[in-house]
Amino acid sequence: MSGSGISRRDFMQIVGLGGASAALAGCGNTSIESGAELVESYVQPENFVVPGVGVYYASTCTQCPSACGIMGRVREGRILKLEGNPNSAISGGKICGLGQAAVQRHYSPDRLTVPMIRKSGELKQSSWEEAMTLLTNAVAPADKAGRRVILTGPASGHEQVLLRALVEAGAATDHVVFDALSTAVAASVNRRMFGVDDPVTMIDRAGVVLSFGDDFLGAGESPVAAARQYARFRRGARRGVLVQVEPRMTLTGANADRWIVIVPGTEGVFALGLARELLQRKEAAGSVSPALAAVIEPYTQAEVSRITGVRGDHIPRIASLLWEHSPTLVLAGRYPQGHAHGSQNMAAIGMLNVILQNHGKTVMRAAELPFPQLAPTAGSFKALRDLNEAMAAGQCRSILMHGSNPVYSAPAFMGFADNLQKVPFKAAWVTELDETAMQCDLVLPLLSSLEDFGTHVASNQSDGTEISIQQPLMEKLYPQTRAFGDVVLDLLRKVKPDSYKSFPDYYAYLKSAVINAKPAYDPAAGDEEFWENALSAGVLHREASLQPLPGMQASPEMIHQPEPAGDDLQYPFRLIPAVTPNMRDGRPASLPWLQESPDPLTTVVWDSWAELHPSTARAMQIREGDVLILASAHGSVRAKAYLFPGIHPGAVGVPIGQGHESYGRFASNVGVNVLKILDPIFDRDTGELALYSTRVSIAKTGQNERITKDEGPTTLQQDRKLVATLAADQVDLTKETPFVIR
Amino acid sequence: MSLDNLTSNWSKLRVKRPQPDQYKDAPYKWGMVIDLDACTGCNACTAACYAENNLPVVGKHRFLKGQAMHWLRIERYWGEGTESTQEFPERGAQFLPMMCQQCEAAPCEIVCPVGATHHTPDGLNSQVYNRCIGSRYCSANCPYKVRYFNWFNYPESAWPSPLEQQLNPDVTVRSKGVMEKCTFCVQRLTEAKDRARTEKRTVRDGEVLTACAQACPTSAIHFGNMADSSSAVARMWKAQQVELSADRQAKDDQREIDEQQGKTDGVLRGYRVLEQLRTYPSVVYLERIRSSEV
Amino acid sequence: MSDTFEEKEVAVELRFQPKPKDIDEDIAWAQINGDVLRSLERPRPLYWVIFFGSLALFLWGVYCEIYQYNTGLGVADLENPQVWGLYIATFIFWIGMSHSGTLLSAILHIMHADWRKPIYRFAEAMTTFSLMTAGLFVLVHLGRVWQFYYVVAYPNERWTWPNFSSPLVWDATAIGSYLTTSVIFLYFGMIPDLAICRDNATGFRRTFYRALSIGWRGTDRQWSNFRVTYLTIACLLIPLAVSVHSIVATDFAVSQQPGWHTTSFPPYFVAGALYSGCAAIITLFIILRYTFRFEQYMTIPILEKLCKLTFAISMVWTYLNFIEYAAVWYGTDEFAKQSLIYRATGDYAWWWWSMNILGSVVPFSLTLKRLRTNIPVMLVVSILLNLGMWIERFMIVTPTFAHGYYPWTWTQGWWPDWVQVGIVLGSFGWFNMLFMLFCKIFPSVSMYEVKEMVYHRRLPRKNLKPLPAEG
Repeated sequence: MSGSGISRRDFMQIVGLGGASAALAGCGNTSIESGAELVESYVQPENFVVPGVGVYYASTCTQCPSACGIMGRVREGRILKLEGNPNSAISGGKICGLGQAAVQRHYSPDRLTVPMIRKSGELKQSSWEEAMTLLTNAVAPADKAGRRVILTGPASGHEQVLLRALVEAGAATDHVVFDALSTAVAASVNRRMFGVDDPVTMIDRAGVVLSFGDDFLGAGESPVAAARQYARFRRGARRGVLVQVEPRMTLTGANADRWIVIVPGTEGVFALGLARELLQRKEAAGSVSPALAAVIEPYTQAEVSRITGVRGDHIPRIASLLWEHSPTLVLAGRYPQGHAHGSQNMAAIGMLNVILQNHGKTVMRAAELPFPQLAPTAGSFKALRDLNEAMAAGQCRSILMHGSNPVYSAPAFMGFADNLQKVPFKAAWVTELDETAMQCDLVLPLLSSLEDFGTHVASNQSDGTEISIQQPLMEKLYPQTRAFGDVVLDLLRKVKPDSYKSFPDYYAYLKSAVINAKPAYDPAAGDEEFWENALSAGVLHREASLQPLPGMQASPEMIHQPEPAGDDLQYPFRLIPAVTPNMRDGRPASLPWLQESPDPLTTVVWDSWAELHPSTARAMQIREGDVLILASAHGSVRAKAYLFPGIHPGAVGVPIGQGHESYGRFASNVGVNVLKILDPIFDRDTGELALYSTRVSIAKTGQNERITKDEGPTTLQQDRKLVATLAADQVDLTKETPFVIR
Repeated sequence: MSLDNLTSNWSKLRVKRPQPDQYKDAPYKWGMVIDLDACTGCNACTAACYAENNLPVVGKHRFLKGQAMHWLRIERYWGEGTESTQEFPERGAQFLPMMCQQCEAAPCEIVCPVGATHHTPDGLNSQVYNRCIGSRYCSANCPYKVRYFNWFNYPESAWPSPLEQQLNPDVTVRSKGVMEKCTFCVQRLTEAKDRARTEKRTVRDGEVLTACAQACPTSAIHFGNMADSSSAVARMWKAQQVELSADRQAKDDQREIDEQQGKTDGVLRGYRVLEQLRTYPSVVYLERIRSSEV
Repeated sequence: MSDTFEEKEVAVELRFQPKPKDIDEDIAWAQINGDVLRSLERPRPLYWVIFFGSLALFLWGVYCEIYQYNTGLGVADLENPQVWGLYIATFIFWIGMSHSGTLLSAILHIMHADWRKPIYRFAEAMTTFSLMTAGLFVLVHLGRVWQFYYVVAYPNERWTWPNFSSPLVWDATAIGSYLTTSVIFLYFGMIPDLAICRDNATGFRRTFYRALSIGWRGTDRQWSNFRVTYLTIACLLIPLAVSVHSIVATDFAVSQQPGWHTTSFPPYFVAGALYSGCAAIITLFIILRYTFRFEQYMTIPILEKLCKLTFAISMVWTYLNFIEYAAVWYGTDEFAKQSLIYRATGDYAWWWWSMNILGSVVPFSLTLKRLRTNIPVMLVVSILLNLGMWIERFMIVTPTFAHGYYPWTWTQGWWPDWVQVGIVLGSFGWFNMLFMLFCKIFPSVSMYEVKEMVYHRRLPRKNLKPLPAEG
């Protein structure tokens, strides 16, 4: 099924099929005779290519940091559809909606096709010569003062190596890694408590997963890999039980055996209450120090219930469930992190895994990567904050941005766009002109992920270690687009002419790097053979065993929970900016399939909404579709009300990712950007933005508009047996035919 | 015009309920099993279906009007009855992937005035786009409302250049006025059957998958040939004791009796949606499970 | 001498109470000819108002249809699951209207009700034009109008037949045959009148009428053949009429959607058809009477008989309507019951209750002599009855889609938009325009039948024995 890789040089002429006309012939709409189509055949095809039969080439999806292996169906030289690559340990042949939509980014009608340079206030089309001149000046070593920043999203693989090289070569003074949905609080707590940023969690080995807002199935770290583990989790010798504790239902929460709503920010209190219950058992004796136990002691069921709003009897039930189904797994997602005491929340939750003795069973240290320099670097919000301050103080001379849209993601209180204007030279690499690009002096057109080479390494790999290879699935659509790696190599050569001169382009660099990795994977193979095999398989995989985590290092201050803040009369509601599987941080908003894909929980499309619990809405006499103004101390947004039972009654949820002012025709003027109105509240320990601490007021405008959603007027099955549910003890899963879990 | 053609095919045209062992000697009968306990509601399958079958994106305005074109839709329910009984959905949401059930006694096949939809020998409900004149009687008669009509000429607007390069050449791009629905990716099935025929064999289990089954990260959608008794789907139907040609399964009768006697365990999870309407769907759903321990 | 003087006086007075003015039994044949032929020349100005108004509506409908044809049915705000909207509802309505003509011209002919004679001609014309309008809706409603002929079993290179199990094919067949037969019946019944027109016309019109009257001379033999043929076609037309609307009813009854799957639908539809047809006849009766100065022919007693007939049919319809509700209410089909409750209490409740009141309560006005002899009141009542019947068709089609088996696809009150309404209004314009054209070109009162009616009434008074050849 998968053919061997196609090098750039061997790539064929692009074949175009003018319009959909050929396929329309089935409806009798056009005819070939009318001359409305242009079907060009290959000039010199590969010998395995048969016109009319698709060939599958392996690559890597880059729509989110999961680095899932994919394969693309290519026919007549153009990529049609993506599937999962069965060779990939991450995707296992599966793919999510964002992966499917990558073709739409590749074929986007709003692709940037030529470099653009700002002349007399406006971005005008330009040439690469001009662009490279400007870029070279921007990276020239310090003859002038000022920081030269390169700002990217989370990166891994050789792209990251080159970025690091840029800093080492002096082409940039800082490499800032920004992630709008950063989990830097979790990384920091894990590092302090267990010595590693990112322990590997194995859902499929757990009997119970207790998740504090970790949306591993939906908008989490690696949804496809986690879903595959989840399938085995449910189909184990004993069906796994999922308990989800969060203030607003995520996709994962929708699949929970028990979903528990909690006051936002009190996850740590719940964890301490649970810890207290767990410590009653003798199996847990000695798992925490007496100092920690002293912090835990006051959190009785009544106290926990008072603070978190959770019914008291949940805790003993969950505790006994956890002990019965050992080993278990406690996960924490974004909700607990997004508060001023986020680190404390995470520490309290992380401690549970230790008490339950999950370390070494379901929580382990990642296996050693054969090439650690390729390991992924996570982004943080603090990095952007620091950069923002530096820009505000006029310390930055130039900023180059790739894989990040900070003008969109930065809350209004930062004044990021204004501070950006203070930087004399701003450049961005984009595939579509987004908000950040519109602020820049130079905008460079990128190859799409389906036109480029690359290597990627995922985090949280539990099945050996894998480097995922990305290769072009077709010749580039627009002649003036260039790979990011190519431009970086050019810049490196400008700064250090002798370096990298044996690599004319990024392809050559990667090929050489991959071939150099041969001893770690297949020492017996020839160089070319190894490269071809790597491209064909799409992954370089090595078996490796996970390592145990060091013992827990936690001090009482780390798990100490502050007294919850009182009610704010001016801003009575807690804002929950929800990360949805379709929109994540807003990058997928320009993809029409994803805009039209109903949000799994609300089924709303092409819009933003404000989720209110039905009791809250009733009390405020708000109906669905009422246009509300949600105002924080730092901004306001308008959104239509949607009645959603899966949210805390004192909270209002608004999805992240819409409200783009510029990002192509499919994203522009759709919904609102809720990130703008966030309050400047930061985690005390790490300085990360507390995403879930903002408080808002809700005002009715008196207008009402119908919400565009897929569901009808009823969300109940109306006594029809559509989705039936059985209790776990009613079914004997072992009697069912063994499931095919691919 | 051939009267022979009419009379000899009349028995196939005149749809009746399926017979037991109707597909015993047939090479193919395509069927599905969807495990609702594994379905997470992630919508990866719907995106894959859009990509595979050239479904047009209709945009906000037309979606609001109810003119969306998702052949496969993920429904999300909060409860089973007619009133919501809980303040919070403590057992999560109920997701149901719903697409054309390829009914063996399809209500849509009988009523099409021009015969644009009928049953194929391999057990699919076919839709012939170039025969359809758009009377929409099939959709009117469908109990699941899984048929989608082309209300506009989408090729004009849904794929601004170069998005049309992504279109699957194996699938017609429909113009206005024709009805469409899930075909179990018949283009993939045809290709697989052709390949198998060239090699003088039948399609192997797992050799061909629908786009949705291939994409599903939890492998909740199982697709296969029910005429091949060794295929996973055939074995699952058998293990669940669901018979294609029965409108009421013996195991459901037994379950009622058991429940009256207070025996609630040992339940088989397989069922078909709205089976009592005697449509004889080709899709079995496995009931979702929720632990009662917590 | 046993009667007192007062009693005799009263009796005499009662005997000489003037009856509502019926046709003058001494009227001359030439008078009848002249009155009817004059209607072809100078109607009252109301005629032109109606004609041009209808033309305007029709042109608006054409514009809406062209817009819809070019852009797609989506402009009619149809959606999944509301795939049939006003087009099917109005289609059924027009088929229903068509039954009036058959009722009057064929059924009452066989029953020898001679009061039908002045009015059956325009009723039959109404039938023909209603059917043509209904046929238009079949086309308008299709997604690919230009391939409508696939429904017909025409020779084609793929040897493809239409699907004979489909009620829509039965529709096409039934309506096609009914329309053909109605046109033949209408034309045929007009031949003697066309001959009169020919004899009184000059120039181009004479040629036109001569061609149409195919050499009618009024000989005994021709009359004898004529009577037999007319009777035969009438007997053929009656079962056709019943079958047509029954078949249209099977569009719904044969499907298994809740609210449709009722065996009482065929007779229910036929009763509704007769009902709306009679109401329409009353409306047109009043309009034509005034516009063409037919006061002498379309008399109040005839109107009264029409009203009584309408009332009788309305009670039949009411009974069948009620039976449908009762069968669902006391039945075991939960889905059908939910559908009925939705109709009565859901988004369309106002319409449902209006339909029941207009259809079952308003006709009681027809029982009051004072009301049914009052022309303006009857105009309003007949229009209200037809409105009720149109709403009935709408209420059959729409709520089943809005609230069917599958709750995910329930709609929150779907309403048609300007394109659908425009085409529906256009259909009314089309119908009225054709009808007015007909009345201007062809005699809308049957001259020879009126003469027959007068003759038979004169007969007992003048003690004339009927001549053997006539009868």
